[in-house]
Amino acid sequence: MKINRNIYSHELKYNRTSFFIWCISISALILLGMAFYPVLMEGDMLKQMTAFFENPFMEGIMSAFGVSMDALTNVLGYYSARNAIFIMLLGGFFFILLAGKILAQEEHEKTADFLITKPITRSEIVWSKLAAFFTYLVLLNIVILITGLLSLEIFKGDNSYSLTSFLVHTLYAFLFMMTFGAIGLFLSLWIKRGRPITNISIGIIMGSYFIDVLSKITPSLDKIGYISPFKFVDSTVLRPDYGLEWWRVLYFVGISLVLFSLTFVIYKKKDILI
Amino acid sequence: MNVIQTRNLTKYYGKDRGIIDLNLEIESGEIFGFIGPNGAGKSTTIRTLLGLIFPTSGSGTIFGLDIVKQTKEIKKQVGYMPSDVNYYHKMDVHELLQYSADFYDKDYDSRIEELAETFALDLNRKILDLSSGNKKKVTILQSLIHRPKLLILDEPTTGLDPLMRAKFFDILRKENSRGTTIFFSSHTLSEVQKLCRRVGIIKEGRIIAVEDIESLRKKQLRIIQVEFSHPVGHDEIDCPGVIALEAEQNILNFMFSGEMDSLVKALAGKEIKDLIVEEPTLEEIFMHYYGEEPEEKRG
Repeated sequence: MKINRNIYSHELKYNRTSFFIWCISISALILLGMAFYPVLMEGDMLKQMTAFFENPFMEGIMSAFGVSMDALTNVLGYYSARNAIFIMLLGGFFFILLAGKILAQEEHEKTADFLITKPITRSEIVWSKLAAFFTYLVLLNIVILITGLLSLEIFKGDNSYSLTSFLVHTLYAFLFMMTFGAIGLFLSLWIKRGRPITNISIGIIMGSYFIDVLSKITPSLDKIGYISPFKFVDSTVLRPDYGLEWWRVLYFVGISLVLFSLTFVIYKKKDILI
Repeated sequence: MNVIQTRNLTKYYGKDRGIIDLNLEIESGEIFGFIGPNGAGKSTTIRTLLGLIFPTSGSGTIFGLDIVKQTKEIKKQVGYMPSDVNYYHKMDVHELLQYSADFYDKDYDSRIEELAETFALDLNRKILDLSSGNKKKVTILQSLIHRPKLLILDEPTTGLDPLMRAKFFDILRKENSRGTTIFFSSHTLSEVQKLCRRVGIIKEGRIIAVEDIESLRKKQLRIIQVEFSHPVGHDEIDCPGVIALEAEQNILNFMFSGEMDSLVKALAGKEIKDLIVEEPTLEEIFMHYYGEEPEEKRG
C-alpha cells in the first residue's frame, strides 16, 4: 500500500465543491426532517392516524418504508424512519458516483496519459484515489453523525433515545455507502469511455431500493430482498437488543473488499486506449 | 547500452493488429525519427513503451529496465509528449505544471518559470481557455520540466506555428547536446530529417527499415526530366536504372538509380532541348523505397 500524496491532495481538491454541496444538502434535510417531530408530537397528529396504521394493508406498506406507529412516536424511531432512507439513498448515490468517477474520469477526460506516464505504479494510483474516497466517506459520515445528534438533541423534547442505537444505525449507513462506492469503482472499470456512469448509478441505487421495498411488502419475495444492500441495513432501532450484527457487517465489508481487490487486479493490467 | 530496446514486441487489440515483432534499438544520445503513416503503429509502440498498454508478447527495456515490471523507475527519467493534449480543465497552467512537477523528487519552480518564458506561455490562464497551440506548449513544458534523460515525442509539432516549431527544435537540440536521447515520432520524414541521425520506418505494424539519414540521402537516386524536340513514348529511352517513367508529349519524367554514365550515353544520339537533374527530397526517396507516401501533415 503506497499512497501518492500528490494524487491524493489533487483528488480532494478536485471534488471538494460537490462534496460540500452534498454535505450541506444532507445536513439541511436531516435538520428539516427532524424539525417536524415536535410538531407531530404536540398536535397529537400521530394519534389521529392510529386507525390508518391499524389497517393491515397500510401497516404492511408502511413497514416496508420502515415506518410504524411506535417508531414514529419515539424520537430515534422517527429519525431513522424519516432520515434513514434519504441518508442512504443520497449518500449511496454520492459515493457510487464519486467512486465511479474517481478512476474512470482520468480515462474519460483523457488525462490518464498524463497521470500514468508519471513515475507512479498503477497500484499507487488506485491506493491514492481510494484514500481520497475514504476520506470523503469518513467526513460525510462524521457530518451526518454530528448533524444527526444535534437534530435529536434539539428536537427530542421530553423524549429520550439510546445513543448506542443511534451510533449503530449511523455505522450501518457508513458501511452501506462504502459498499456502493465499491460497486461504483468496480463498474467504472467496465464502462466504455464517454458513457456517463450517472444513469447506471441511479439505476442500481433505485433498483436495489425497490427490490428491498417489494420484498418487504410481499412475503413471498422475502428471499429476493437479499440481493439488495438495503436489506442488510437494520433499521429497527427501537428493538431493545438492537446492535451490530456480524453477518450484516460481514456482508458489507466482504462485498467491498472483494470489489476493491478486483479493482486493483484489473486496473493493473488495463490497457489505457487513446 | 541502448536506451530503448525491444525484442519481438507485439501488441494486438483483440484481433486488431497494433504492432508485430517490433525490434528497436535506440542508442544513447541520439535523436531517432520514428516514421510511418497514421495507423501504422507509432502510437501503439510508444504507449507500450510507456506502460499505458501492455504487450501481447515480446519484451522491451528502457535504460535496461523492463517496460512492464519496472515502469515506475523508467518514468522518473522519461518525458512524454502525447499527440493529443488533454488536461484537467479546472486547473490553470501553473497548477497543472506544478502538479506534474510534484511527481518528481526535486523542486522545479524556477525551471517552470524559465520554460514558460522561452515559450511565451501565460501561466495564469485556465487550461480550458487555451488554444490548441498553447495546449501543445503546455505539453512541451510538462515533458521537459524534470530534465528527463529520454524524451518520447508523439507527433509533437501538430498545432505549433513555424516560429514555435523552430524554438521547439532549438530546445530539442539543446536537450540533446546535454545527452538527452530523443525518440521522435512523426508521419512526415521531412519534418524530422534535419533533427535526426537515424530513422525507423514503420508500416502496418512492422518496422520495414532503419536507415541512416545520410545514407538514405546518398542513395544515388535522381529525378530527371528530359525535353526532346519531338513527341516521345515510353520506348524512347533504354537504360537500366530508369524507374517510374512517364511520357508527356515531348517530355520524359523519370527517377534514375543506375550509372549516370550509361544514361548520358543512352541519350547521346538524340535531339534534346532541355535536361534537368534533381536530387530528390527524402520524402521522394522514402516513397520510392518503401512504396508508401507519408500522409500530408495535419493542420
